[in-house]
Amino acid sequence: MASLVSRPTGVRAGAATRVDRQPWSAIVLFLLPAFTVYTALTAYPVLRTLWNSVHTVLPHSARFAGIANYAALVHDDIFWRSVRNTFIWSCVSPVAEVSIGLLLALALYARIPGRRFLRIAWFTPVLMSYVVVGIIWVWIYNYDWGAANAILRAIGLGRYVQAWIGDPRIALPSLIFVTTWMWTGFNMVVLLAAMHSLPSEVLEAAELDNCGWTAKLWHVVIPLIRPTILNLVVLSFIGKMKIFDLVWITTKGGPLWSTETVSTYLYKRAFEWSTFDLGYPSTIAAVWFVIVLAGVFALTWLFRQRERLEF
Amino acid sequence: MGRLLRSRPFEPATARSFPTQMLKRVALFAIVALYTAFAAGPFVWVATMSVRTTSEISLDHYAWPAKWHWEKFAQAWFNSNYNVYFENSLLVVASAVAVLTVVGSMAAHCFARYRFPANRVLYFVIFSTIIFPPQITIIALFQILVQYGLYDSLVGLALVYVAVQLPLTVYVLESFFARIPGDLFDAARIDGYSEWLIFWKVSLPIALPAIATAVILNTILLWNEFLYAVVLITDESRRTLPLGIQRFMGDQLEDVGMIATGLMIAIVPVVLIYMFFSEKLIQGMTAGAVK
Amino acid sequence: MRVLRWLLAVVVVTFASSALGQQVKLTLWSHWAAEKIKRDFVEDAIKRFESTHPDVKIEATWYEKNALYAALKTALRAGTGPDIFYAEPDQVEYMENGLLLDLTPLNWSGIEPWAKEIWTYKGKPYGLPLEAWTVELYYNRKTLADLGVAVPAGLQLSSDAFGDLVKKARAKNITPMSLGVGDRPFPGAFLVHEALVKKLGVAAYTELLEGKLSWSDARVVDTLKLIRSWTDAGLLPTTFTTLKLGESHTYFYSNPGAATFLMGSFYSSRAFNPPDKGGEPPGFQVGIMQYPAMPGAACNECRTLAVGGSYVVNAGTKHPKEAIDFLNAFVDPGMANRWLEEVVVQTGVKADLSKIGGPHAAYLKDLFAADANAKYFFGLPSQRMQGKPREVFTQVFNNAFPAGTIGVEDAVKQMNAAYAR
Repeated sequence: MASLVSRPTGVRAGAATRVDRQPWSAIVLFLLPAFTVYTALTAYPVLRTLWNSVHTVLPHSARFAGIANYAALVHDDIFWRSVRNTFIWSCVSPVAEVSIGLLLALALYARIPGRRFLRIAWFTPVLMSYVVVGIIWVWIYNYDWGAANAILRAIGLGRYVQAWIGDPRIALPSLIFVTTWMWTGFNMVVLLAAMHSLPSEVLEAAELDNCGWTAKLWHVVIPLIRPTILNLVVLSFIGKMKIFDLVWITTKGGPLWSTETVSTYLYKRAFEWSTFDLGYPSTIAAVWFVIVLAGVFALTWLFRQRERLEF
Repeated sequence: MGRLLRSRPFEPATARSFPTQMLKRVALFAIVALYTAFAAGPFVWVATMSVRTTSEISLDHYAWPAKWHWEKFAQAWFNSNYNVYFENSLLVVASAVAVLTVVGSMAAHCFARYRFPANRVLYFVIFSTIIFPPQITIIALFQILVQYGLYDSLVGLALVYVAVQLPLTVYVLESFFARIPGDLFDAARIDGYSEWLIFWKVSLPIALPAIATAVILNTILLWNEFLYAVVLITDESRRTLPLGIQRFMGDQLEDVGMIATGLMIAIVPVVLIYMFFSEKLIQGMTAGAVK
Repeated sequence: MRVLRWLLAVVVVTFASSALGQQVKLTLWSHWAAEKIKRDFVEDAIKRFESTHPDVKIEATWYEKNALYAALKTALRAGTGPDIFYAEPDQVEYMENGLLLDLTPLNWSGIEPWAKEIWTYKGKPYGLPLEAWTVELYYNRKTLADLGVAVPAGLQLSSDAFGDLVKKARAKNITPMSLGVGDRPFPGAFLVHEALVKKLGVAAYTELLEGKLSWSDARVVDTLKLIRSWTDAGLLPTTFTTLKLGESHTYFYSNPGAATFLMGSFYSSRAFNPPDKGGEPPGFQVGIMQYPAMPGAACNECRTLAVGGSYVVNAGTKHPKEAIDFLNAFVDPGMANRWLEEVVVQTGVKADLSKIGGPHAAYLKDLFAADANAKYFFGLPSQRMQGKPREVFTQVFNNAFPAGTIGVEDAVKQMNAAYAR
């Protein structure tokens, strides 16, 4: 940014500043609104949640509770069940969504007709709010007339009809299927753009080498778009760790906590259990926060290291 | 697969590989067709249900509309408060996005164009909140809004939305601002522009594509936002669309037809935005995700 | 001259002070937005009160229950809430946090003592028990006649006879019992707790709910196994887990129709609406009998009596006297009779049973007959349990156990574990 052009020293008021003198007033002015919002509505709430977690927070009082909430959390099997469910979701989803998205992107990369239309059609699930998606899939999973069972019956597999979100054994996979349906299109679009931005010489060079398309895929294309894949995996992981709306509209955490996620359990403890205490739910939030951060760091570290090893 | 179909003009398809080529092409089309039905099917189904009455639907859930009941949309809009929900969503999202754009671009410009000691640290502080789960702030936000009388108000919700989307906005804009060639700024400085004018007259106009992307992205994300809305808004007259959709899920038999109509009212604006701006949107999102 | 001025001053002061004795405005938030009959009853009571108390105006806002609870929780936390609001006795958190006004000044001699007891917390009463209800087994007279099932004079089938009914109904492709837990945490549990209170008797049942009796007790397990045999035989609708409370009513009497319906006696507040608003179809003949007798039961005439919709006063209200006066307006045999005749469900207010008339007198007669000789256990499990046991009870016995997705041993294990901490 340093200019090589020599310039006259500023004389007029409000004149050009010299490059090596930081315009602090301007910097502060630019950053102030953002940081005001950030401090008031992000940083302060985080601190307040942490404060809540060591208190029992009632409407007109707040008693210091020390680590009592944390101790109770250790024995809270509903909480650990919800952690397990959320982790299963966050680990299975990225794998499914990104791999299927990759295959689809390859299909589109092969220049089939109607690409523009397909891009829109495959993207619509992402544009719908989780509320909309939840309502639609509750209908699809309806035992009597939902599309899932109707299709099974129509193709003669009637004995496989299930209570998709009523059976504790398959409720979670059913919901994971829904988020895969939603996000695969998004991943496809991003990966496609990534592929199109690859230098074509590399791909043509690979072709001249007469590799089979699987080899080309594995050894050329994927390594080149690895950073994009990593980003999508991390994005998907974070997204599933946060998930609330879909579960709330479809199963509300049931049946038998098989779809209980940390966010639904926290909401219930804060707003639905027969208590006004906000301390315990804050404890859940604090512990979960640490777990999410640890997960994200672990994930990026895992991928980073592999990358270095390749070269 | 790619090799066979990215036709190289100088290589004729040999007779021997033709059947296999055809087979692979057919297989590909089959997969594409199936997946399209899978991805777009539910949307089409809801669209057809939105113009059928609930009794028609109960008779056959999958029939094509015999009679197109467009009046249901009017019913939802005028008689069932959908106009209120739509307005509330519009107000909250428009104001939040406007504030986000201004505040976010100011911060992004600053991070991108000025070198000062705390630059990367501060940027990281804001950017890292992208990975924060909403749970860590939602309870305290509830308490804060109640304390300052902003609970159950559109203003309060809009402010929260600004905070929620700020990291993403700054991230998307910063990378674009950073790419603007420095000479433009130097030239502006020589011409005697103040820092604010440089931002206003140089940075912003050039960054319009990125700003457009940020605006579209934020609009779509906030239009569909549910968790903060459900915690921070209770009164019927202040509900946003995602909350309002549940209006028809009352005590009695589910009014499937009307719910479907309501869903369409919620989906169609977003789909339209995407259809018109898909290029920009993808550029913006891939600028972030693609390296 | 001076006298005139003096008179003028007096006149002015009188006007001023009467203007100062201004309108007291009370806000009231209530459930029952969709239950017209109850809503009309309360609004009528408001009009009567306003006519006898011209300086008081009451503004009522009507909600669906879940929305009401959400609005209240946050409003009370914020310190803003309505003066009077709807509550049910299981919401002990209001009393624990001092959010309700002590209602000792109410005219308690006009209220049933058990109803007062349910609302008593630490020796003080906090709610006006307007609605009370029992769990009844409603049945379609015609269907049972067609199935060849005769209801004995004591209005209680034996468990074998009931099992028989289940088989016969299924054989004719009729759902034996309508029940749905799509939007409420208590209907599914009716099956279990009505059976348990009979098998164990009031004292042991109380211990069970308080965690002092293990759920592995042979009596409990036998009862659960019996119920499981019924659900396995197809007792409940396939849509049990998603069927809503309102829908379960229409499932029983119109579409597709079931033989029996296990429901609280607030059945009437939906059933007696016009058919197109979710009510019974014309010509529908409903009968009421008791929950089937349990084999080897301690007390087959034991049943649950719950206090439902009640009105409480916000501790932070600026007009406690007017609020209590309004609630006292309900404590009157005339009001209680009107509630019984119009709303057709029991009440905690003492009524004059000799004078009951009205369009549903026959139904009321059936209802009281079904409850004759009953010994009551006061309160639903969800009203008597808190915290983790309540959550587990709801998930296990309201949802999973009747739906068949959890076995008897697992259910027992979960309940015992819930009390363990």
